[in-house]
Amino acid sequence: MTQAIQARRGIITPEMVKVAEKERLDVEFIRQGVTAGNIVILRNNQRGNVEPVGVGKGLRTKVNASIGTSPEHFDMDGEMHKLEVAVKAGADTIMELSSGGDINAVRKMTLARTKLPVGTVPIYQAAIEATDNLGGVVNMNADQMFAVIERHAADGADFMALHCAINHDVIERLRNQPRVTDVVSRGGAFLTGWMLHNQKENPLYEQFDRILEIALKYDVTLSVGDAIRPGAIADSLDRAQVQGLILVGELVKRALDAGVQVMVEGPGHVPADQIQATILLQKQLCHKVPYFILGNLVTDIAPGYDHITSAIGGTIAAIAGADYICYVTPAEHLRLPTAEDVHEGVIAARIATHAADLVKGAKGAWEWDLEMSKARKALDWDKQISLAIDPEKARRYRAESNSDTTKACSMCGDFCAMKVVSQYLGTKTSDC
Amino acid sequence: MTQLELALQGKITQEMEKVALVENLAPETVRSLVEEGKVVIPANKMRQNRKIVGFGSQLKTKVSASIGTPKSGQEYAGELAKLAKAIAAGTDSVMDLSLGGDLDYMRREVLNRTELPVGTLPIYQTCMEASLSKGILELTPEDFIKDIEKQARDGVDFMGLHCGMTRRTLDLAKSQGRVNDVVSWGGSLLAGWMLHHNEENPLYTYFNHILEIASKYDVTLSLADGLRPGCLADSLDRAQVQELVVLGELVDRARAAGVQIMIKGPGHAPWNHLSATVQLMKQMCQGAPYFVFGPIATDIAPGYDHITAAIGGAFAAAAGADFLCYVTPAEHVGFPTEEDVYEGVMAARVAAHIGDLAKGTKGAIDMDIAMAQARKPWNVSEQRKLALDPSKLGADDAESMEGSHQCTRCSDKCSMKVINEFFDRPLEYC
Repeated sequence: MTQAIQARRGIITPEMVKVAEKERLDVEFIRQGVTAGNIVILRNNQRGNVEPVGVGKGLRTKVNASIGTSPEHFDMDGEMHKLEVAVKAGADTIMELSSGGDINAVRKMTLARTKLPVGTVPIYQAAIEATDNLGGVVNMNADQMFAVIERHAADGADFMALHCAINHDVIERLRNQPRVTDVVSRGGAFLTGWMLHNQKENPLYEQFDRILEIALKYDVTLSVGDAIRPGAIADSLDRAQVQGLILVGELVKRALDAGVQVMVEGPGHVPADQIQATILLQKQLCHKVPYFILGNLVTDIAPGYDHITSAIGGTIAAIAGADYICYVTPAEHLRLPTAEDVHEGVIAARIATHAADLVKGAKGAWEWDLEMSKARKALDWDKQISLAIDPEKARRYRAESNSDTTKACSMCGDFCAMKVVSQYLGTKTSDC
Repeated sequence: MTQLELALQGKITQEMEKVALVENLAPETVRSLVEEGKVVIPANKMRQNRKIVGFGSQLKTKVSASIGTPKSGQEYAGELAKLAKAIAAGTDSVMDLSLGGDLDYMRREVLNRTELPVGTLPIYQTCMEASLSKGILELTPEDFIKDIEKQARDGVDFMGLHCGMTRRTLDLAKSQGRVNDVVSWGGSLLAGWMLHHNEENPLYTYFNHILEIASKYDVTLSLADGLRPGCLADSLDRAQVQELVVLGELVDRARAAGVQIMIKGPGHAPWNHLSATVQLMKQMCQGAPYFVFGPIATDIAPGYDHITAAIGGAFAAAAGADFLCYVTPAEHVGFPTEEDVYEGVMAARVAAHIGDLAKGTKGAIDMDIAMAQARKPWNVSEQRKLALDPSKLGADDAESMEGSHQCTRCSDKCSMKVINEFFDRPLEYC
């Protein structure tokens, strides 16, 4: 039974208890959220070593880090190192998006090496295998696609991005209102090419019930993929995107009715003034299930800095109600990320989600900042460093320009504002 | 040729010049807005007596008042009195939504008695006349088109047509489930016909015919939202959004045919949906003018829906809506009286102006500054001139106050006077 079905029967599962503990919320609140579908608990029932993670309304905004090989670049150790870096940097979940080399091996290794929920995009592997074995992506067939989906589920993938919500109706609208960048989702592009070449409907849409069966069996959370997400701010909120979202809404309804846990993937490139409407629209059209967004990137002109463009957009989006943010690394639009890029990406996304959680009132968010401020007032450097979102960087920066013994920092030296004001107000600044 | 076709050729028409003059914009600005489809100038070629009014971006937010005979019959005089009342209250356009009596007669009377742009919903005539003869379900697609042509020939400047309500939108309304299914009256009649015949919406299927008629007479299409939500709970659901996507495509087709087009909008919408609703429409419909009905920001105030609509309308206008259809205190309760019409127009005008202040529409803030300046020396005749509703400044009484240089509110404890003494400035009257 899925978490959703159990929740509806009034059962409080060990997974709900764990999520409630981590979020410092009442377990009944979690059960109700799972019942309504506005909370999902990521955990495949085949995985032994997973720490379940809750995503959705009232919970801390979560961050996903993606890793994975590419056809040109297969380095298992390198990807496993990135996995470690992402976990250490504080990612809440991992997506394993390999499309090169021994894809099965990378996935299994990833699932074995982390306790975090792991997501996959099975269509990548289906497309690569079709290229290798069937002579091209356009030669994929439905049975083969579903076989790959089942394989990922059986291996323990906790959630899967599936591009079910693209059909010929959406493609027609794309044709009628041309875009600057047509289809930027890789899975979406595979399927669009397949659909146009074969003049057939998208099997993931047409045979959605087969997906529901698999999801039900393993309690895989569906992440209905945003195949038609805009790839440029100029394409945001166009008719194809909105048509795709309507379709997502219909599929979400079917998943909810089937007792399958479901969330929705979102853009992508969105100008800052359209973020709020984008989130509201998803919530309204998709029965308020969790929204998992990529970015949002609020400008297109900063390659090398897209962890920053997406941290800005991600903050606005999370405040507006996005529940889960896929990180964007400084390598976005340029190359496969290095381990350092992964680290930077996770931290930037965590800053964004935390900044939003302060506003959303997520439990514990405000206290964290308060603790940091008090440590600053007390000039308690050890505490400041341990509270820092990236303690290592804080420690390194401090060490680089301050001797170990000094209590003051090199910025103000003896002219410390905290100290001066404390003297005036008669309050205490310890050790300064 | 239509205003749009002329604009595309770079021509500045008399109509554009008139709009430019009223709006205090350069004629070229108006031409280029018409060319982009962001402004429409509803001006049927067959009409003689007219005042030219523009609707859309950068122009003052406009107000429309609807009148019309009830199903029961021939209340011509009463409805024409309401027309006069709406004009006196300062409406920018009128819609004749008559349902009973001789509909051709009534429409022609309305067109003769006002210079303002006149709009209609041709499906009302088609269905009402059919209901008295063969029955609505016996209508053919040709019947729907025939009345559009007839009304265009009579000089109707803009027409509400439910072209975007496809079968798919009805299916979505059904599958997602609504509290109030189809509240647009014309939309519900058309939906009944579609479901009975298991056919696509004829106004969608035969949209090219409609474009031909509109192009011939330069009728501005006002594509109505048959699936507009009828309560807050149904706002921004899949049916509404799907219809908006279809409407966007029809906007493209209308523009390609040189036909002026605007889009009708809700309806009932919670306050926090308004800016997204307007933004979505502008995105789907490439900046076409948005003609909203209210929007009514709560469902629980029957008898006060001129106020709920004014609140929603002001916010929608601030977010970019261009044209507000008034809602009278009689909405959801009964048939509006003359007094209701008056109250409805005034409330919508207040909302439109508040929206204009927020949008920064040219001239809007100047009106408020002038009023504030006239209040300082308590210049009542000037205030009356500037007031949205001069009659509220009570003619005779006010004159006498002006004579005494004191108003009855504070008498000699006038704050203006106290302040002026503080700033060492002489006060003219007080």
